[in-house]
Amino acid sequence: MRLLLVEDDVELGRRLSERLRRADFAVELAVNRSAAEDWPDVDRMTAIILDLGLPDGDGLDLLKHWRDARVETPILILTARGSWQDKVEGLNAGADDFVVKPVRFEELLARLNALFRRQQGSRSSVIEKGNLRLDTLARTAELADKPLSLSRQEFRLLHLFLRRAGQVMSQTDILDDLYELDSEREPNTVEVLVGRLRRKIGRERIVTLRGMGYRFET
Amino acid sequence: MTRLPVPGSLRLRFLLAICIWVVLGVSAIWFSAVGIFSAHVEQSYHEELEVHVRELARLAEFDEDGRIALTRPLSDPRYEVPLSGFYWQISADDRDPLRSRSMTRGSLDERVAHSPEILHTRDGGPTGPAITYGFTQAAPDGEEVHFVIATDQSELDRLIGGFTRDLTVWLAGLGSLLLATGLAIIGFGLHPLDRLAKATARLRRGEAAELEGQYPAEIGPLVSDLNAYVHQNAEMIARARVQAGNLAHSLRTPLAIITDEAERLAQEPNCSPAAAVLLEQGKAMEQQISYQLARARSSSGKPYAARTVRLPDVAVPIVRAMERLHPEKNFSLVLDNCDQVTLPIDAVDYSELLSILLDNAGKWARNEVELAFVRDSGGAVIARISDDGPGMTKEQLGDAFLLGSRFDTTKPGAGLGLAIAREIADAMGAELEILNGKTGLIATIIFRGEGETAIA
Repeated sequence: MRLLLVEDDVELGRRLSERLRRADFAVELAVNRSAAEDWPDVDRMTAIILDLGLPDGDGLDLLKHWRDARVETPILILTARGSWQDKVEGLNAGADDFVVKPVRFEELLARLNALFRRQQGSRSSVIEKGNLRLDTLARTAELADKPLSLSRQEFRLLHLFLRRAGQVMSQTDILDDLYELDSEREPNTVEVLVGRLRRKIGRERIVTLRGMGYRFET
Repeated sequence: MTRLPVPGSLRLRFLLAICIWVVLGVSAIWFSAVGIFSAHVEQSYHEELEVHVRELARLAEFDEDGRIALTRPLSDPRYEVPLSGFYWQISADDRDPLRSRSMTRGSLDERVAHSPEILHTRDGGPTGPAITYGFTQAAPDGEEVHFVIATDQSELDRLIGGFTRDLTVWLAGLGSLLLATGLAIIGFGLHPLDRLAKATARLRRGEAAELEGQYPAEIGPLVSDLNAYVHQNAEMIARARVQAGNLAHSLRTPLAIITDEAERLAQEPNCSPAAAVLLEQGKAMEQQISYQLARARSSSGKPYAARTVRLPDVAVPIVRAMERLHPEKNFSLVLDNCDQVTLPIDAVDYSELLSILLDNAGKWARNEVELAFVRDSGGAVIARISDDGPGMTKEQLGDAFLLGSRFDTTKPGAGLGLAIAREIADAMGAELEILNGKTGLIATIIFRGEGETAIA
């Protein structure tokens, strides 16, 4: 899952990015409004964490700009502005949640997960497909009620497949979700990861569509 | 509209001054007029009596028997009417006195007629005190004859009394007219001050940003100075709000870094006690920042800095925002007969108050949250926020407005909401109460606003 974090405070941005990465998110960091506004694939992010007080413009305007441009990505405002006037404006401008700094990381994570669940129309942090069960909060996976041992990247890939079960995803889609833009991407990374995951959950679960990508069979 | 003068008012001062002036003036006129008229009437009266006594002497003659007789009656017929108050008498030594027909009883004292010069005195007459004129004249035989004319004092008193009554009525009318004119002048003269009072009331209620209207040269500069002060004050408050907000914002980001560092430290076995202290203190700092910032906002949001608020303009965006914030809950807005109601309060403060209570209801509700506005018979606007959650125990209700009261630490929040809500409600002069309803909690905001709510 790839997040865009728009935060002008370098230190806070670094720290948040680091912790979000540890929580299995691929994090892109934009330190000002113009960088965020010019981000090439903002509509393909899993979510955006947006600070309102940006040095070169108001985050609220940026939020309106994205919503006007029909960017549907869930947006969580993380700001030092704590008044309800700001919250109401932010939410009515299209934000999906509003969190005031400082926030405990667990709470931020819980709010993000709530956003993802809401996006999937689920109230639970558990995704179940057949005998596969994934708990996004506990970060555990089970196959036929037996724990699955997955690496971080494998877990993220399985999470992506389960979120988009039945949909065809290209290698680029998968890479974009798992890795940050400036990270090194080996051409066969996806193939290797899919291969490893197939071995753990069953080959038949993930179908290869030649020239198109992969599809998780529901 | 005529306003009744209140103690210590300019209106009362002017009214008293005018009353004193009118009473003194009218009294002086009354005394002067009565005095002059009385003197004039008395003088005329005396002159008339003098004429009468001379006429009496001229008409008197002695017949062959030496008896006194008049050649004809006096020209004034009142001397012929019995007890009319007009009497004459002619007397001489050793003769029967001759008296007017009017004098059917008694006699006149002839001692006033003791010299050829006409003299007068006040004496007793046949029908009461009388003004008596008399003089002596020698008869052809050299005998001294006394001519006396008397008129009842009551005649003169009646004349003067009649005039005085008429004058009093007339002057009372004049005095009333002068007082009415004085009142009109007071009203006219003080009208700009009345307008100023109304403008001040509008400013105080937040319906105007400054003292509106044109004023006379005497108070115009004062109004200008006051307006300058009001603007300066509003700017100062706005600046203070911004600075308080900036301070809070500038503190929150470093605090976020400290919190993050403390959370990292908490994962180190040796540092967890220190991390716990840091996290606890960081939380306390955040609480103080939020609370004091909300207080700074609400206490500076007094009506003079406010504008009127139309209820739907405030409520609709908040309910829409709550629907996004708590998407699994149903929020409904009932405006009843309040869709055109405006309140003379700060929109930001009222929004903050409604938002806190709605967010609270949204956190606790099972499914439904309702925001309903009603106007009671006294004109108060009541906002009622109800949910279908578990409600509160008696103890929780007692502590609900205390700073940092959290009844479920698994839900987001710092336990500040209701404490801040109470501060805001107090600052805007609204009543805030919470109680358990049939299915959940009901928070009620009652804004009486001194009858200042209006239907647009």
